[in-house]
Amino acid sequence: MFDTIIIGSGPAGLSAAGILKDGQNVLIIDEYYHPGGRLLGQLYEEEKDVWWNGQEIADSLFGDVKEAVAFRPSTSVINIEKDAHFTIHTTRGTFESYNVIVATGAREKSFPLPGWDLPGVMTVGAAQVLTNFQRVAPGDRGVIIGMNPLSLVIALELGYADIEVAKICLPPDNPLNEQSPVDAFETLLALGGLAPSKFIASASRLGAKLPLSHKAAVKLFPKSGVNAMGLPISIREKVTRINGREQVESVTVHEVDSKGRILPKKSRTIPCDFVCISDGLAPLSEICSLLNMKHVYIESLGGYVPLHDNRMRTEIENLYVAGNITGIENAKVAMLQGELAASQIIGDEANSRTTLEKINHERYYAKVKFHPELTRGKEQLESLWLEYMK
Amino acid sequence: MTKRITHHTILGLVEDDKVPFNWNGQTLYGSSRDSLTSALLANDVRILRRHEKDGKPRGLYCNIGHCSECRVTVDGRRNQRACMTPLEENMTVESQDMLPYLTEGGKRDV
Repeated sequence: MFDTIIIGSGPAGLSAAGILKDGQNVLIIDEYYHPGGRLLGQLYEEEKDVWWNGQEIADSLFGDVKEAVAFRPSTSVINIEKDAHFTIHTTRGTFESYNVIVATGAREKSFPLPGWDLPGVMTVGAAQVLTNFQRVAPGDRGVIIGMNPLSLVIALELGYADIEVAKICLPPDNPLNEQSPVDAFETLLALGGLAPSKFIASASRLGAKLPLSHKAAVKLFPKSGVNAMGLPISIREKVTRINGREQVESVTVHEVDSKGRILPKKSRTIPCDFVCISDGLAPLSEICSLLNMKHVYIESLGGYVPLHDNRMRTEIENLYVAGNITGIENAKVAMLQGELAASQIIGDEANSRTTLEKINHERYYAKVKFHPELTRGKEQLESLWLEYMK
Repeated sequence: MTKRITHHTILGLVEDDKVPFNWNGQTLYGSSRDSLTSALLANDVRILRRHEKDGKPRGLYCNIGHCSECRVTVDGRRNQRACMTPLEENMTVESQDMLPYLTEGGKRDV
């Protein structure tokens, strides 16, 4: 019997283990073969010459706990039961514990388009793990479809590895995706906090200079795109299909008007040997669903999240959540949330309070903001929690 | 051609150690940091299987175990996710072209 089982060895899970390791018998379970979760592969410049190197952070977090806790990589949780304690069924045996922290992170969302099943088409996250963790180039020349903080950060990372990104474009219209040139433009402006010294010179300035609506600014955006941060960004072109016989050979892009409507006669082909699809991230909460826990849909958190309070507690006693399962944010917030969940388990109220303050601080000053309405989403969650637990 | 990024401007150098494995009868070499997807990609293998219904080529997609597009047979075990399987010396990896699970009555072409 373990005191606590942590599901997920990403930033949240490993940080939780760091707090619990001295006083508790802890097991960390992860489906992947290496600890770190999606820290593995993260690489961006926080400020001039200060790099966030996810793998180094993962190695250090894991190094701190590896002697003191049990770790089972390559192990998938397939069911969880709760009576007097928790019983967790995995692909490599059954384990029991008094407390559980579910730190399963997020999944990448995709949108379908013709040719998306060809070899060479992958999520941006796949390209990130290949490039920065396994150190294999996803190809020689790529096109990224979808414009959001994740896809733009990973586009930069491909550049650091000397992999050419030929174009970053919007996806075609479909019922699942309605990203318009105006939305994309706002995404670009919101990323002004990232790498401030050299960010999106042209796109950002274009927006700042114009006391007009973003819609008007989009009209002035050059059709074939701008080169911002070294990234070839087109918000007035959409990829309409991916071409190739046995693997990716090119994409077809169409020009669109400022409302995002495709101009059928204005198309061209961009040769490439890989394509990354990116529609952002969504919390991964199957394990909480297995316990039939209440979930709420909050757009700014990335989708359905298990109902929880700001101290990471859920409706099930002794079951806590931490990291991107609680909403899409950066790894620093995830690490603090892991510490908070662990502090709750050991009843350290003083540390819980300071950690909570740190979370609010980090949330406010985060360089990469995944959603502009995040704070409001968290407030909405808290009021739903209070209502539900009444 | 796909390539291994041994030298990286920010992340520095990694060693390209040669770990032998077998892919559809052919000996290839990967690195000790590889999953099966990355080891195969480094050898310019992008087609991991043929779709069970129409024979169209399929490769890795999410690379973190969520989509199951990269399922292969590893040392005789079917339906292993190549992206979640760390490369081990002398592993035998084969592509699959049958449905991952037999439907009732053994009908495959449904």
